[in-house]
Amino acid sequence: MKHKIMEWAVEHPRSIFWLTGILCLVALAFMPRITVDTDPENMLPHSNPARVLHEEVKQRFGLSDMVVVGIVNEQGVYNPTTLGKLHKLSEEALKIEGVIADDLMSLSLSDNITQGGPGEISFHWMMRQPPANQAEAEQISAWVERLPLLNNTLVSGDKKAVGMYIPIVAKDQSYRVYQELLAVIDGFEPGDEQFHITGLPVAEDTFGVEMFKQMAISAPAAGLLIFVMMLFFFRSAALVTAPMIVAMATVIITMGAMIGMGFPVHIMSSMIPIFLMPIAVVDSVHILSEFNDHYRPGKDKKALARGTIDELFQPMLFTSITSIVGFASLNTADIPPVRVFGSFVAFGIAVAFLLSITFVPAYMSCLSDETLDKMSKRVHSGEKPNSFLARLLRTLPGFTGAARSLIILVGALGLGFSAWGISKIVINDNPMNWFEEKHPIRYADKVLNQHFAGTYEAYLSFNSEAGSADGVEQKAKAILASAPAEVQQQWQTISQSPATMADAIVEQQMTASDETLDYWDQLADVADEAGAAGRLFLQPEYLRYLESVQQALMDSGYVGKTNGLVDLLKTVNRELRSGEATDYRLPTSAEASAQAILAFQGSHRPADVWHFVTPDYGSSVVWMQLKSGDNQDMNLVLDYMQDWFAKNPAPEGLTVDWSGLTYINVVWQDAMVSGMLKSLISSFVIVALMMMFLFRSVVWGLIAMLPLTLTISLIYGLIGVTGKNYDMPVAVLSALTLGMSIDFAIHFIDRCRYMVEKHGGWAKGLDAVFEEPGRAIGRNAIVIALGFSPLLIAPLVPYQTVGIFLASIMVISCVTTLLLLPSIIGLLRNYLFKQADA
Amino acid sequence: MKILAKLFAAASLLLVSVSASAVDVQDIVKRANLAAVYPGNDGRAEARMLIVDKQGRKQMRQFTILRRNIEAGGDQQFLVVFSRPSDVARTTFLVDKHPGGDDDRWLYLPGLDLLKRIASGDKRTSFVGSTFFYEDISGRDINADNFELLSEDDSAWTLKAIPKDAASVEFAYYTVKIDKKTMLPMLSDYFDSAGKNYRRMSATKVKDIQGFPTIMEMKAENLRDGSFSINQLRKAQYDVNIPENVFSERSLRMPPRAWVKL
Repeated sequence: MKHKIMEWAVEHPRSIFWLTGILCLVALAFMPRITVDTDPENMLPHSNPARVLHEEVKQRFGLSDMVVVGIVNEQGVYNPTTLGKLHKLSEEALKIEGVIADDLMSLSLSDNITQGGPGEISFHWMMRQPPANQAEAEQISAWVERLPLLNNTLVSGDKKAVGMYIPIVAKDQSYRVYQELLAVIDGFEPGDEQFHITGLPVAEDTFGVEMFKQMAISAPAAGLLIFVMMLFFFRSAALVTAPMIVAMATVIITMGAMIGMGFPVHIMSSMIPIFLMPIAVVDSVHILSEFNDHYRPGKDKKALARGTIDELFQPMLFTSITSIVGFASLNTADIPPVRVFGSFVAFGIAVAFLLSITFVPAYMSCLSDETLDKMSKRVHSGEKPNSFLARLLRTLPGFTGAARSLIILVGALGLGFSAWGISKIVINDNPMNWFEEKHPIRYADKVLNQHFAGTYEAYLSFNSEAGSADGVEQKAKAILASAPAEVQQQWQTISQSPATMADAIVEQQMTASDETLDYWDQLADVADEAGAAGRLFLQPEYLRYLESVQQALMDSGYVGKTNGLVDLLKTVNRELRSGEATDYRLPTSAEASAQAILAFQGSHRPADVWHFVTPDYGSSVVWMQLKSGDNQDMNLVLDYMQDWFAKNPAPEGLTVDWSGLTYINVVWQDAMVSGMLKSLISSFVIVALMMMFLFRSVVWGLIAMLPLTLTISLIYGLIGVTGKNYDMPVAVLSALTLGMSIDFAIHFIDRCRYMVEKHGGWAKGLDAVFEEPGRAIGRNAIVIALGFSPLLIAPLVPYQTVGIFLASIMVISCVTTLLLLPSIIGLLRNYLFKQADA
Repeated sequence: MKILAKLFAAASLLLVSVSASAVDVQDIVKRANLAAVYPGNDGRAEARMLIVDKQGRKQMRQFTILRRNIEAGGDQQFLVVFSRPSDVARTTFLVDKHPGGDDDRWLYLPGLDLLKRIASGDKRTSFVGSTFFYEDISGRDINADNFELLSEDDSAWTLKAIPKDAASVEFAYYTVKIDKKTMLPMLSDYFDSAGKNYRRMSATKVKDIQGFPTIMEMKAENLRDGSFSINQLRKAQYDVNIPENVFSERSLRMPPRAWVKL
């Protein structure tokens, strides 16, 4: 079957070219349908309980994703110029499309509650107009210090930074809002102020934008470098164009298929081209290497092309299948973008394999004799290849024979070292850290978190189960006894569905005739009374619990600041009573709390209170400001509070939930880490079984797994030792490591068994292995490791990580394959080859 | 010659338009103010205010509102006593309104047993958490804005009001449509400095009470986020002779039962 395909390919090159071209065109035709999704939240399925809850809490309290703007002035921000700029920026921000104007948090839009004359309370704008002079600026300073909800949130404790929190309708608006803000800032006169814009939504959305720019720079740059490197090895632009076409066609067909099937291009899938290019190139390099080494003027190029494929078919099939398994195993993770990524990389590998065994030989057999002869002349000065690489490789059979024990010992030590390193791995991620340290967003994040109590938000919400409808029916009956029939009938309908009862009664109260109105008002009282049991967060007992939760969060030492209903009530209570610090305390009854809130609602921003408590007072939320968005730091808070809640359980009937972007990032990372580990283990086992099956031998199978095992262990060991965080990119790269580091071992073992048999002995066979096959491995390692070096200068950390990984995979798996495998096989040669003979 | 004729034509057009706007805008505003805020010598109504937030959640507040004119078009007194929800029952506002000057406002919170004066100044603060402003309930001073006639049809005038002190309000201007028959302002649209209509007030139900056309239901909408409030009057009565002493500090702590439904 394989022969037929290759035969046909070599004999009908035009059909192959046409087919490839048409497939690419079809794929390209799908490209305009591209949809982009750069939201890391989508690492979790929409149905994920944590995510559903996060959305529900945002909705419940009208909380939005925020763009954080900070103005830093080392001389202090309380002066007319700086506050003037803040004022202007706030005004401009209100005009930006996608900004939720009513919820924008800035000094110029904040309300102030103060003592007026004796016995007087005053609600007035904090800074409706920018201060005209220094005295007015100082006045604002004094006001802010009295308002716990603003102090250290809108102005830093050191008074050197003033902030704005700009709520946006959707996270995917944040990059545009960010750009529009930058344009406004650019228009300001230069002064002592530095402007910083950050926040997780901006970081996440901007990452998406820059990622695509990076894709457009890194992938072609890597492609070009790979081309140049191959040119160096094979000395024929015409010849090395083949792998380039294979790589490009693979990427185009795969991305086209993905987009055409309606999958959005996510952060993960944007990396597919970067992953597929090396894999697609590797197969072709093996073929080219073999072809290039054997071609001599006058040789039948078609026969040589066929022969090359024939010899390499089996190892290439094996490596492709193992890589496919490695990536397909990502489907075991419950992370939709990772599954899409794994599936389409696997698909791409299959495409690359098919193109390698059809397109490449067809292409080679179409090259003119003249081109090939020139290439041959440039490459082969003598009878045997004599490059530095070739000569170096020829020393290895001897070396691995002499230093066999040492090599095996070093390998074992490497494994031990890795185990130690892996035990030190720190699992941590923060989308902010996907930017380089000097990136403006990450720098802004650092600066603002030095000044403020924190720019990362997390929420702890408390929810009471719906108030019971018990007793309502009984009391309603007494009222309805004298009511007109229409009221009785309507009540019948309304009382059927307790969930909508309150709203339905309100509806009746607004529309009922004057004659029936009284009944509805009384029924409302009855329902209200039953519901009052649910108006928990007016009751001192529950408010005091919230107070203790906020205190515990602060005591943990991991939280910069908390904001909650308690702070608002205490502030209003203080200003209503005396304005003195001694009155900064909670009202003493539910009525007092309700009335304090009613008084507060006579302000300019009455709805602000509903960001802390629902209008039915059945649910409340505590906002946390964290100085770091690292999952590690969020986890410290989670662990501390888990202990605290165990000792201080919430009052009966309350459920406690975490939400907020910082928390969601922890959830998806947990899914990612466990998911990746699961898929790594499962694919490791599957690949091991496949090796045993393909080589028809348990021992050979296990030997084939050695370079892969050592490569993965060493890479993750080094991550542990160097203290680099195990983050999203690192987790996903395990699949690439597994898929690619098995390649060389398969080629080596396959060729080794073939050569030993062909040359009728271990020594001669090994020498032969270190000719063409060895050179192919060496060239591959060099082409890929160096070819992806442009990734190292990308401003996005995940791209750097991929670059480092690819280089490490290539170097480590190449070295272990070329040194460790001959040592081990040499050690066991009598057993292995006797067995093979049998 | 031709130019002269053109100029003449233009001048006469100008004259026509001037005479069209010869409608006395200030007079319309004055009459509308009287119709909307000053009917009768005094008045009483039971009000219920439905507050619907942007999430569509409903809250209702009920209160009795008493009003007494000291001078038609001039000073007035208001007493507002809440009856529902139960945890804010008996919370009371007292207002001595002085158009053109600062109002005197008091607030009594029974749960805290606290009587506070509310500092004068900004009248465009929320009325008890609703989409209405304090000023929407008490009536905005007609001398605070410059009015001009935008359009006129058989049934209504539409005026444009530009605030004299732009810094004291959140709008750049508003338009108001005044019904020719009842002289009631039926629809007001508020525009921000970008010219965007972000707020609307509309009279949704008008009824004749003792010969006074009365807005029985009024809606205030935040067009930015879709939240709105509806203020509905029930059992409105005029000229009921509410004694002057009802509008006193004593009523704040002890609501006058004869006049107030609790």
